[in-house]
Formats: sequence, structure tokens, C-alpha cells
Amino acid sequence: MALYMIRRLSQSLLVIFGVSVITFLAMHMGGDPTYLYVSERASNEEIIATRAKLGFDKPLSVQYLRFAEGLVHGDLGTSLTYRTPALPVVLKRFPATLELTFFALTVAVCVGIPLGVLAAINQGKPLDGGIMLMAMFGQSMPNFWLGIMLILSVGLGLRWLPISGRVPLLDPLLDGDLDTMLANLPHALPYLIMPGMTIAFFSLARTSRLVRSSMLEVLSQDYVRTARSKGLTELRVIMHHAFRNAQLPVVTMLGLEFGFLLGGVVVVETIFSWPGVGRLVFNAINHRDIPLVQAAVLTFSIVFVGLNLLVDLLYAQLDPRIRLGS
Amino acid sequence: MLSSAAKILVCLAIAFMAVSMLRRHPHAAVSAGTAPVNKTLTIAQSTDADTLDPADENTIPTLNIARLLFGTLYRVSPTGQLQAYLAESYQYAEDGKSITFQLRPGLMCEDGEPLTARDAAYSFERAADPKLKFTGNATGFVLPALGYLGARVDGKLRFTLLIKKYNPIAIGLISELLISCQAPYEKMTKEQAATHPVASGPYRLAQWTHDDRIVLERNKYFPLPAPKYDRVIFRVIPETSTRAAELIAGDVDIITNVSPDQIDVINNSDTARVESIASVRRIYVGFNQKQKFASTPGGRAIRDPAVRLALQYAVDVPTMCEALLRTPCTRAATMVAPNNDHTGIPPYPYDPDRAERLLDAAGYPRGKDGVRFEITMQAQRDLYGDTNVMLAVGQYLTDIGVKTDVQLLDPSVYVPLIRQHNAGPLYFQGTGGATWSPLYDISDLTSPASGTNYTNWADPAFFDGWKQLDATRDPAAMDAIISHMLHVFHDRGPWLLLFFQPDSYGVSNRIHWQPRPDEAITLSED
Repeated sequence: MALYMIRRLSQSLLVIFGVSVITFLAMHMGGDPTYLYVSERASNEEIIATRAKLGFDKPLSVQYLRFAEGLVHGDLGTSLTYRTPALPVVLKRFPATLELTFFALTVAVCVGIPLGVLAAINQGKPLDGGIMLMAMFGQSMPNFWLGIMLILSVGLGLRWLPISGRVPLLDPLLDGDLDTMLANLPHALPYLIMPGMTIAFFSLARTSRLVRSSMLEVLSQDYVRTARSKGLTELRVIMHHAFRNAQLPVVTMLGLEFGFLLGGVVVVETIFSWPGVGRLVFNAINHRDIPLVQAAVLTFSIVFVGLNLLVDLLYAQLDPRIRLGS
Repeated sequence: MLSSAAKILVCLAIAFMAVSMLRRHPHAAVSAGTAPVNKTLTIAQSTDADTLDPADENTIPTLNIARLLFGTLYRVSPTGQLQAYLAESYQYAEDGKSITFQLRPGLMCEDGEPLTARDAAYSFERAADPKLKFTGNATGFVLPALGYLGARVDGKLRFTLLIKKYNPIAIGLISELLISCQAPYEKMTKEQAATHPVASGPYRLAQWTHDDRIVLERNKYFPLPAPKYDRVIFRVIPETSTRAAELIAGDVDIITNVSPDQIDVINNSDTARVESIASVRRIYVGFNQKQKFASTPGGRAIRDPAVRLALQYAVDVPTMCEALLRTPCTRAATMVAPNNDHTGIPPYPYDPDRAERLLDAAGYPRGKDGVRFEITMQAQRDLYGDTNVMLAVGQYLTDIGVKTDVQLLDPSVYVPLIRQHNAGPLYFQGTGGATWSPLYDISDLTSPASGTNYTNWADPAFFDGWKQLDATRDPAAMDAIISHMLHVFHDRGPWLLLFFQPDSYGVSNRIHWQPRPDEAITLSED
């Protein structure tokens, strides 16, 4: 197990190094970013001076080495837009994105899995058809459209929920202020529902489809028939014998789904003015704020790699046949 | 297993939460989760402030906030008059190489300390300090354009700016430089200064939740008349339809950049209206005459002034504005804002037949396929919401036989391209102007090689005007020279003039507020 962990961690470091190199090169491919940081009326001399101030006058290799050196010391440079260290800018917005992602994933799991199980045990019946129709709808509907429809109907029409904005939940918790977090909770939930549901709808649909197909495969296995022939209740057969064995692909998918949701909330964060890291990265890419993009991409890749590691470790818990490191 | 009582309690709790969440949401006029506060104004912009360092501002949304936090020596009125603000007067030296300012007495910083000439001089010195490596508007444009050499304190309320030579637009330029207080800023690092402003203006920073909102509250030490609102909240709402929904719902009072498709929606609501104004931002299609384009048929053609003149007649600007921007506009006649344009030059009319005749006469007849020549027009996608205008201009030119390929590029690609004068041969651009001086507007073209002359146009009949302007300080003579330059520009210039960008703001019916043509959001002090 320890050997496995060491091997996976060293692989992860390689992945993160690769990500940093690719991001760095990709951000420099579009030409000199200096022009995005000077007044439109700046003269050539002012442009040259600004280029030197930003460090873009140095060769690419020197710029990367400087970045790598900073990385070792935990310094990812100063954001060109915000004029403050890049990593804290990213980390400050990370809780907002995490909140949204957790909420969406919770909805996707709590609703998607039961729906998938229900569809599987009612295969071919109207309930199965209805659930699959909804799943297809959820997967084919663009989230920017769903978000705007929710704003217009639930936010503006019915006035049930606030249209945009956020009340922080995780931030006070991370600051150790549980009281504020609890006080904010009833205010925060209404702000979370529309953006959270917009993101969750796609994942929910995908989860229910995966659970259904996984369950159908397991339900046709001999051991399920044996369980039934032993006279066990249908609920027990489904929950203890079928669903348990159908969990493995679902767990794999959920690990990836979390990473997908983390990186894929840009549109929803923009529509609902959610001050998360997705919107930050989107703007940073547009402004070629290279230190900020690198800080964000590295943070994302560390989280993603960590999640995948966690999923691998979970495998061993869920399926005793899997022996990590062997 | 849960007992029956516990199950009932859980059910009740869930029902309570559901009801409380689904109850009709009381839209707060102020901020998430707080009760409405009287005399609070909420403004929604598309982006957050990037920095609140007074020496490092360079975007309009940031400046809208910073102007409420920091005073300036002079400021520009909505109609383009330069008004004394923190300063009460100024005096040019005989040789024009210095300007002495007299500050108002009784000015104070947010911390209650007096704001003196030392602070005003420090504001210039700090912005110019190379060690601080500022890249904002003050360092990157205002101070170089001013010809700034240094600042000298002459007394408690008197200081002098030293400049390279007489600069007739110095006071207008100075209206863009924010005044800060020396003592707190000397103690702060650059990073601290970016996020912890110490105000010298009518408001102070109360809260900044990045990418969400900035809350300003009244600066009790500001001695001059101030806007009537106790709090001003700037919310960040990037999506135009969300901004419009928040306005209609009554959650915000002013929204910026209303997109054309939202104008009717807002005007048809009971709660808000759209206020549009022709801004000083000039929207045009540039003819890049750089040598590298001369090898292409289109690039070669537009080097001919007769071709450039012909294309001026090809575009129906008022119809484009009405149909695509949903706002009436007048075609620009020169590169100077109408309130400063005294030339009497009329805008080019839409006359495609004339355009075709002129192109025939210039030696570019239609070929068998109906095409005179092909040309590429590069444009920044979504620049000022004018994407449809870009495509329409391409079609108008194609209609007279100039087959135009419109390339829409992302800002990160287009901006470096144009700043290096490599966009073209045609490019679509908007450039900011001023309400307070025609000189500022024509300074886009200070020399054939100047940074903002993206066309590489080098007509001496125009550029010699700058030498003549340098030689006089007589306003009437300057007017005559500018008028001549504008005639040259109109007749054979490097821009296909379109319009002054109409800016549309959504305004709640609860308030009276008028937009300004210079894109700034200011609050009246009545």
C-alpha cells in the first residue's frame, strides 16, 4: 500500500509538472501579452518599459525557470490584473466553487442514484421510460440556457429565489468561524439552489443513466438470482447484493465528475455572478494573466490528481478483490 | 433505526427548510442576506475592480469606483467643462513649463489627517516612481502625455508641476490622476495599496468581496459637497441578461452595457428604463497602409485615397445603429466629439452608387464575378457589443464589389495584433475620446509612428499641423489649425468613420440619473 502511494504520488508530481509546462507554453503562444497591460494611448517607449516591468522581455526559458523557482518556494508570481500574489487570489475564490460543486454533486448523487436504481428495477416500464427521457433531456440541455430560464422563471417571474450573487458558507468555516457559517446557512441556500441545480442537472442525468446500466448488468448475474431464490426481500436483494456490486463504476465516475464539475462551472458562475475560480480563470485567460492562469491550473490539477488517488484508494474498500500495489 | 418521533421531527425539519427556501424571496435592495438600507445606490457592472491603488487604475469599471474613493485636482463635468475639485485654481508659468496649483483649505484624508500640497505632489511622484513598476493609466499614459518632470511643494496648499513644455491639455490630463495621502501609502506595500485604499474622496471602502461586490460608505472627513447616497454598492454581474433581470427585479439601480436585445425588455418593464447616450468613443474601420499588406490586392487598393473615399459612401450607418444597436445614432463626421467639432464638416451620406462610380474611376472595376478586389477585415469579437456591426460593414463593402472577409478574433489575439500595427488591412476599432478638448481626440494620430496610429498613415498635410500647434498658444489659431487637420482627415484620412458608440444604461425608475458621454459613472451632488 505504501509503495503504491509513493508510486502514485510521484506519477502525480510528473503530471503536475507536465501541466505547468503545457500551460506556460500555451499562454505564451498567442504572442506578447504586454499589449493587454498598457494604455491604448501608450507610446512604444512606454510599451517597452511595461514589458520589462512585467518580465516579458526575458527569453521564454528564463521566464519558465523563474516560475519554476518560485513554485518550489510556493510563490506563483503576482497576478498582472490584480497586482497581488496569484495563489491567494485563486485560493480566495476556491471555496465559492467548492460550495457550488459540492452542492451540485450532492444533488446529482442523492437524486441520480435512486433514479437510476428505480429505472433499472422497472426496466421497460413507463417509469423507466420517464426517467430515461428526463436523463436525455438533462444531458442535451445546455446549462447556459437552463440557467437563464431559471433566472427568468424562478428568479424574476416567481421571485422565489435570488437572481444572482452569493452568501459565503465555506469561507467563514475555513477561517474557523463556525458561528458565522451557521448564521449564513439559511441565507446561503437560496443563492445556491439555482446555480447548483443548473450544474447538477447534467450530472444527475449522467449518474442515473450509469447507475441504471450498471444495475441492469448486475441484476442479471447468478448471485442475484441465488439471493432471490433464498427468499430474501426484493429491497435486500437490490440494496445488499445488486447495488453494492454496481457501485464500482459509479464511484469511478463520481471522482471524475467532481473534477469535471470543478473545471466546468465557468458558464454557470458567469450567469449567476458566482464569484468562483472558474470565472476567474476565464477572465485571466482572456487577459493573458499568465501567473494567475498558472496558479489556477496548478490548483485544479492538484485537486484533480488528488481526487483520482482517493478514488483508487476507495476501490480497495469497495471491492476486496482489488489489491493496490500488487 | 429512527424512532417514530424522530422520523416526524426530521420530516418537519425538512418541510420547514423547504417552505423557508421556497417562500417568495424578498429581493433586498442592498446585498445578499441583508435588509434594505435607505439611501443606498447599487450599480451593477460587468467586471470587478482589478486594483484600488490610486496610481495603478486603467479600466473604466475600476475608475468608476476609484473616482468615488479619490479626489482629483480638477474634474470633468458631464458636459465637458474642467472644474476645480481638490484644487481651487491653477496658473501656468510664463514659459509654460510648470503649472502651480492652489489646493482648497480643509481637505482631509479618510484617516482624519489633513490633505496638503505634500500629498498632492506625492501622488504624482508615486505614480512616476519606476521602482513601483506601475502599469496603469497614470504611469502608462497620463504622465508621459503631460511631459511630467517632477513636482515641487511651494507651501502647505501650493505645489508646482514641472513639465517638459507647454501642454494645452494638461489640466484635462490631470483630471485623470487620483490624489492619495502620503502617510498611509508610504507605509503600505504595493499589494496592500491595491486592496486597502485610503480615501481622499467622498466615499471610503467598507467591504470588497472579490468578483462579487464593493461596498462604499460615506467618508465623514470629506469636506466638499458629496453625492446624497450613504452607501454605494458596485456589484459584479458579468452576464447582460442577468444584469437586466436584477434591474427589473429591483435589486440594482443602475446597470452598464445594456445589450441591444435587452433594451425593449427593460423599457417594457414597470420598474426600469434604458438611458442611452452617444459616447465619445469613436467607432471606425481603419485602413492599415503598412507595407506588409501592400502585396495583397485589398492592402494595395486602400493605399489609394480615392478608394478610401469611395468606401466612405458604402456603409449605411444610421440604419445599422437602428437595426443592430437598437439605438439611433448620427454618423461621425470627423474624429472629434461633436461638442468640440467646430468644422461644420457633414458626415458622409450612404450612397452606394457613388461608391461604385468612385471605385470604377479609381481603376477598380467589378470583375466577371462581380468582385473588384478582396480584402480582410480583422476585429475583436464582441468589442463594445458591436459584432453584428462588424459583420454588417463587411456585407456593405461586399455589396459594392469589395469582397470582405471578416475575421473575428479573441481579445488576447487581437489586442497584441493591433497594438503592433499588424491588424488589417482593414480593422474594426473603437478609440476613447474626450469631451473637454478636440486636441485629445486628434492625438490618436500624433505622428505616423505613434502608438495609436494603427494605420501607419503619414499624410504630411495632417501631421504638419502638430508642428504648427506646438508653435502657438492662441486658442483661435489652434482652432484654425485643428480645423484644417480635420478637413484633411475627412477627405483622405485613414478611417472609415462610423459612429460615436451609443452607450446604454439600465436605470431604475426609483432614481433620477443621467449618463455621461465619457463612459464615466458619476453621481450628482444635488
